[in-house]
Amino acid sequence: MDFSILTDHFGSYMEGFYNTILSSLLALCGSFLLGALIAIFRITPVKGLRWFGTGYVEFIRNIPLLLVVYIFFYGPSALGFPLDGFIAGTIGLSVYTSAFIAEAIRAGIMAVPKGQTEAARSSGLNYAQTMVHIILPQAIKLVIPPLGNQFINLIKNSSVLTLVAGLDLMYFADGISTETYRTFDTYIFVAMFYLVLTLPLSYAMRVWERRLQRKY
Amino acid sequence: MIDFHQVEKHYGQFHVLKTIDLHVQEGEVVVVVGPSGSGKSTMLRCINRLETITSGGLTVDNITVNDRKTDINKLRKEIGMVFQHFNLYPHKKVIDNITLAPIKVLGLSKVEAEEIAMSYLEKVGIAEKALAYPSQLSGGQQQRVAIARGLAMKPKIMLFDEPTSALDPEMVGEVLDVMRTLANEGMTMVIVTHEMGFAREVADRVIFMDQGQIVEEAEPEQFFASPREERTRTFLSRVLSH
Repeated sequence: MDFSILTDHFGSYMEGFYNTILSSLLALCGSFLLGALIAIFRITPVKGLRWFGTGYVEFIRNIPLLLVVYIFFYGPSALGFPLDGFIAGTIGLSVYTSAFIAEAIRAGIMAVPKGQTEAARSSGLNYAQTMVHIILPQAIKLVIPPLGNQFINLIKNSSVLTLVAGLDLMYFADGISTETYRTFDTYIFVAMFYLVLTLPLSYAMRVWERRLQRKY
Repeated sequence: MIDFHQVEKHYGQFHVLKTIDLHVQEGEVVVVVGPSGSGKSTMLRCINRLETITSGGLTVDNITVNDRKTDINKLRKEIGMVFQHFNLYPHKKVIDNITLAPIKVLGLSKVEAEEIAMSYLEKVGIAEKALAYPSQLSGGQQQRVAIARGLAMKPKIMLFDEPTSALDPEMVGEVLDVMRTLANEGMTMVIVTHEMGFAREVADRVIFMDQGQIVEEAEPEQFFASPREERTRTFLSRVLSH
């Protein structure tokens, strides 16, 4: 393993690493908010919203990530307002991940026993109050492990930005490897950068899960 | 206080409630007994619209339960409910289980709600568990918390859906004691139970249901000593003979 590749191109690596972190963070927030909204659509008593939620999830999660990103990259430019690769990629990544997050959240909500809703509603709480005070706090505990998996997938999937010139870690690594012809060494360092992000995240999710487990 | 008039309920093909007529007076304690699957719980759950009725009329405190214009949350404030499986909120401490609805629905301050909660916890005899989580309580204690939670809304009616069926035998007594006290204080109560001794002692009226129908209703003395209907006699001989 040749560390000179890392030291010689440290600036490029860091720029890509920074963009990967930024894209992942934005997509993490975006996909969580969007996923939570879609999950609520999926379980609401309102039929139209339920259909929309189901359609969204089934459409998005059954096509490849790359295609979703292409939709947001080539779609806008076809309509005359091109988005740059970083923005299109991050939106695509958010949308793609949100479908999986919506399913995880929905499953968590459904796993809270029905008696909880009945107790809350029969005491006069309305639907929204029941969700906020009774169902969601219990669902979150069940949702953390699958959510952690989705967030880790999201960070790894951010490498798709390369294919729309999104200036992420992979994109810069491609440049370094064509310049040095040291393909394998170049990408070994890329893997390490990803691990620097994903290992602590997976550890943090485990700690959070255990802490909630202990509370009651 | 509660009026069922010719109430029918279907679950698809299944006819769960058949022409139910039932009138519960203010302050009355009505105990509903009958075999499993006879529609007792379903009938009870219609009263606060956890179940909807297919046809007929149902009013509580002169408010039509199944009217679209009825604010169901407002009606439910007046009706406390205690479930077979307690249904306490596991992520909230005992005191917070009790204060949630008074704060969110009645608009009480946290201090007022906690004061009321503590007074009812004392009434059911477990004030010292106020800061515990439900999982740290025995079944009997959990059910008493559930009763305190219902009472804290100061309801006009309390519904009990097999409140002792999920309890270990030695804990049944402590829950029935609380219910007995409530009955003596004049609370309007509808109780679905298999506790025949309790029914006999506390009920103003006993209702026997079978296959979705009210087969017989009578004062407890008469109901247990000389039931009119053959089906009632069969049922009683099965549950009382052991």
